[in-house]
Amino acid sequence: MLKYLVILLDEKSVSFCHYENPVKENKLISKEDLKAGILFAMKENLNIQFVYPSEELPKEYSEIINTIDHSDIKPISKQRADVLICNSVTEFSNNEINKEQVYVIRTKKEDFFTNLSLLKKNIFKVQRVNMVLTDIDTFSEKDFEKYKEALKELSLETEKQIGKGGFSQINILTDRIMLKQMNNCNAGAEVITLAPNGKFYVCPAFYLEDEKQSIGSLSEGVNIKNAQLYQLDHAPLCRICDSYHCKRCVWLNKKTTFELNTPSHEQCVVSHLERNAAKDLLLKTQIFDNEIKEIDYLDPFEVREQW
Amino acid sequence: MNQIKEDRRQWQDGMAKSITFIVTKDCQLACKYCYLVGKNEKERMTFEVAKQAIDYILEREEEFNEESVTWDFIGGEPFLEIELIDKICDYLKQRMFELNHHWFNSYRFNFSTNGINYDSKPVQDYIKKNITHLSIGITIDGTELKHDLNRVYKHSGKGSYKDVVKNIPLWLEQFPGAGTKVTISSADIPYIKESVLHLYSLGIKQVNINVVFEDVWKEGDDKLFEEQLMILADEIIEKEYYREYTCSFFSERLGKPLDKKLMNQNWCGAGKMLSIDAQGNFYPCTRFAQYSLRDKQALIIGNVKEGINKNLLRPFLCLDRCTQSKQECIDCEVAEGCAWCQGENYDAAKTNTIYERSTAICKMHKARVRANNYYWNKLFRKLELEGEREKFEKNKKEFNEKIC
Repeated sequence: MLKYLVILLDEKSVSFCHYENPVKENKLISKEDLKAGILFAMKENLNIQFVYPSEELPKEYSEIINTIDHSDIKPISKQRADVLICNSVTEFSNNEINKEQVYVIRTKKEDFFTNLSLLKKNIFKVQRVNMVLTDIDTFSEKDFEKYKEALKELSLETEKQIGKGGFSQINILTDRIMLKQMNNCNAGAEVITLAPNGKFYVCPAFYLEDEKQSIGSLSEGVNIKNAQLYQLDHAPLCRICDSYHCKRCVWLNKKTTFELNTPSHEQCVVSHLERNAAKDLLLKTQIFDNEIKEIDYLDPFEVREQW
Repeated sequence: MNQIKEDRRQWQDGMAKSITFIVTKDCQLACKYCYLVGKNEKERMTFEVAKQAIDYILEREEEFNEESVTWDFIGGEPFLEIELIDKICDYLKQRMFELNHHWFNSYRFNFSTNGINYDSKPVQDYIKKNITHLSIGITIDGTELKHDLNRVYKHSGKGSYKDVVKNIPLWLEQFPGAGTKVTISSADIPYIKESVLHLYSLGIKQVNINVVFEDVWKEGDDKLFEEQLMILADEIIEKEYYREYTCSFFSERLGKPLDKKLMNQNWCGAGKMLSIDAQGNFYPCTRFAQYSLRDKQALIIGNVKEGINKNLLRPFLCLDRCTQSKQECIDCEVAEGCAWCQGENYDAAKTNTIYERSTAICKMHKARVRANNYYWNKLFRKLELEGEREKFEKNKKEFNEKIC
């Protein structure tokens, strides 16, 4: 059941996830479509998340936006929003960090590994950080090893913070500690996106990849073909998996395996390294009443159901 | 000959990898039901491409670790490229031996041919050279009328029956017990009974017959189909063909409900198989090559230079029955034996997915189940009345349904 509507206010709206936004020129969603999108969300009972470009919006847009309860996703340059987006660890560290803010740090493995110390220094200054590794699909065996070590370092630091009475949420480490069931992105199942062209998409990535992949429009409504393939029970690997925090990104799935419901090996291993780091942290700190079992695989493909 | 039979039996008991070379996309025929919509005379495999594919596969023995291997040659018509095939097979044997590969003692070359040039010298020389590791199926659709309804020459449109049937005795002499594959489309339904009986009369004891998966069925086809199968059933029982002959339309493993958890396996072997085309591209099955697809792009999983992208195989190896089926199929009370082709599913799907099962054969399957129930009820009653049931059970031929 749909719960959220992401509205891209502009062609240049900041990317907050795995996809890149290569668009160079601003093109705002029309005021009519913006109003119609808000009306659609009201009727369907959807929570709206507006995604902003770096540039200022015209005043009348802000007025329309404020007619509805919503969340704002903005580039870090905007300094205030429900979620602020940075495009590297250095960008995060070089900006004034606000304790109350939630940040998304979009990073590539090289940036993440190289600037781990910088990250450790600053990440605990805020209440929550969502790390998004945008090049997960390029991870090699060596990268897996490095990532495992990096998570260990972050975990040690978190342990120290907890010892001092503090706790910052880092999605790749602490989300799994708190979760007792799957909590994924759910694009296409719970979340859809309204693009500046007035059409609906599974998520911004599908829009930016190819405008023709729309799943409906403001005039015709939403019609997702093979909608069942966005649901957990139609994902043979994910439904047996307990890396509950995994984004389970259907766009990455499609890109790497050609199927929405099947994650790549790299995605599964990265999520399991995070899961295992969370397990160790939970064991040491007992900070939440939860249990993460010991398992002997990093890719559920190895233990998939076979008949 | 007995030794060969024994070898075949042992080979079939194990798990076999099926590796298919699409050696040509050309064929003398233009069969009306052929799913290969993109056949052409240009795309012929070179030996160099075949060699690269073989090297890639044989040098990865740990990955390709099935007990046995079937090296399939497919077209178009594979025997149009018999010289290339002979060279490929020589190279395969040489490399399996040199590498001390576990497949060296457990391999088979397999062909599905239209049978037209079966008796030619190059084909016969090849057969004699490889007979101990060879299986060949000639496709003959039944009576001349039924066969020529679909299996016609591409240029003249003339039926090919006479050119095929002349080779059946030689084929059966070389491959006793070999079966033929019969494909039924809408227009063929009235000829099913006479066609199967005709094939029996030619000495073909195993008739592997199936309806096409494509959405070609017309209103009332299911009724006609059921009637044809029932009169075929009457004939098989009355003339006691069941003692020595099989027809894959009738199976004891057909038409029961399937448990969602325990009987959830995928029907098709796509992804466990491997196909290679003339460009050196790898496919999860031949049906995913462009020449087999009407509406979708080819699904290439790698090539001889860069190897197989294993991420692209994951969706195939995770496929199960229920995940790709509609609720109606999951709940179906006669689901057992209802087949599907992953390639056709992909081609017919609303989106680019292999996870949407086509249900175009639903009515035909249900008709088959009704006729099948009739067949077994009638046959068992007859056997019981004759006191032969126990004997029949003991001697009955196990039939492995193979649909593609």
